[in-house]
Amino acid sequence: MKQEKEWVIEAEHISYTYEGNDKPALSDMTLKIRRGSRVAFMGGNGSGKSTFFLCLNGIRKPDAGRVLIDGEPVSYTRKGLLDVRRRVGIVFQEPDDQLFSAGVYQEISFGILNLGVEEEKARKEVERVIQELGIRPFQERPAHALSGGQKKLVAIADILVMDPEVMILDEPASSLDPKHTKIVRGIVEGLTERGITVLMATHDMDYAFGWADEIVLMHEGSVLKSGAPLEVCSDREALEKANLEVPAVLRLYEKMREKGMVSLEGGVPKTMEELERRLV
Amino acid sequence: MILIDKLCYQSKLRYVNATEKFVYAVLSLVFCVVSGSATVAVPVFLVNGILTVGKGKIPLSRYIKLLLIPMTFLILGTAAILLNVSAVPLDAFAFPIGKWYLTGSVKSVIRVCRLCITALAAVSCLYFLSLNTTMTDILGVLRKLHLPDLLIELMLLIYRFIFLLLETAAAITTAQESRLGNRDYSTRIRSFGAMASALFVQAVKRSNMLYDAMESRCYDGTIRVLTQEQPARKNEVIWIAVYEILLLLITIWSIIK
Repeated sequence: MKQEKEWVIEAEHISYTYEGNDKPALSDMTLKIRRGSRVAFMGGNGSGKSTFFLCLNGIRKPDAGRVLIDGEPVSYTRKGLLDVRRRVGIVFQEPDDQLFSAGVYQEISFGILNLGVEEEKARKEVERVIQELGIRPFQERPAHALSGGQKKLVAIADILVMDPEVMILDEPASSLDPKHTKIVRGIVEGLTERGITVLMATHDMDYAFGWADEIVLMHEGSVLKSGAPLEVCSDREALEKANLEVPAVLRLYEKMREKGMVSLEGGVPKTMEELERRLV
Repeated sequence: MILIDKLCYQSKLRYVNATEKFVYAVLSLVFCVVSGSATVAVPVFLVNGILTVGKGKIPLSRYIKLLLIPMTFLILGTAAILLNVSAVPLDAFAFPIGKWYLTGSVKSVIRVCRLCITALAAVSCLYFLSLNTTMTDILGVLRKLHLPDLLIELMLLIYRFIFLLLETAAAITTAQESRLGNRDYSTRIRSFGAMASALFVQAVKRSNMLYDAMESRCYDGTIRVLTQEQPARKNEVIWIAVYEILLLLITIWSIIK
């Protein structure tokens, strides 16, 4: 067993420009991610979130700089890439861009078989994930007859079955109904509990503020500001530059504190429920 | 095609072992075509109908409508055999047209009937397979038969993409219609062209995204997936074996005769 390093992902000065584009998608981006943490990536469309994610499991190779996983630089050989992709899994934003098979069972089994796991064991793992994510009721339906939320669950199962150390979710709640948003968020909680590092791109500031251990604000291909949610949200200038609003709970808390309507014990509340409980 | 896909997911025979259904359908088809005789075709046609509608619970009206599709081709195709233009009337029927006759012989009428029933029976075998077996299951069987991987992978991707592209095409068409994109003939033609080119761009984009997503799950050029298989039931296997042996005997008999 290798000794676990504190930083599961380190990006050092990485830059990337898509072919045919003048503007780089990532420019001189540096970031470290702590093992087991929950990191929210925020920033407008085209701020480089998705490109950064693709660099983390070797789909895109940075033009400059390097990415380290578990303290080791990513090796772009066949074997190296296999290893990185086993550790870092991406759930893509659009399930339709990820699901290649019409059969749910086939779809989920793809990743784990690519890892060279034996069929017998792979079958068990696929069954386990299907059970865990509540996919059973629609397991027999073809992909084109699933709802958006159901497809998203299958997309998450795709990655979860590979047992990754780091799971990246690119805007998992986009185009989901409230019911499935809640289900997906519940699943994400479960990931953290079992020690998986979760990176999530989101536009929902209120959610990120309550959920994340760290918020990374991205702007024009690099990190504008990163740190604990409170620290990032206190930097109004950075928020404005990224076109983001101060989380509602924080804004309300500050106003209520001025008027003495809230108990100060326990610092800044993270969610509306917490704030509600502390009303005086 | 979309209708068949929808129906097969509702079929009560869907969870019968796919290899059984595949073997049943293909063998029946082969006997039908090889014998070319109504003695084989009639029972095959009836049994397929009973299984699909009676056991599979595919609505009869749908089944008949589906069978009418190949009928159109059959009627057009057999017209050439049946109809002759001749100065002398033949024995089956003759309609005078001026000095000539539109006419046919009894022999050709019998031949056409046999052709029609054989063709319909053959089609009913394929309908049996596709109305009661999902594409995913059929691919599983083809994999077992060691068809080239490339072919199976292509079928897998194409099957998924047909629906994705249809969805996109429908969305674009709706958007065009809501902006009067089909006001008259020329706008309709123009809208269709615009939709087709947009669809092409989408298809390319989508396939790039899909490739990235597959690569990120360690795709190495071969698509390996697990298939779920329903266990074969003994009595079903026996029934199929008995039935196919019977068909084989009738086929041999009809050839010798």
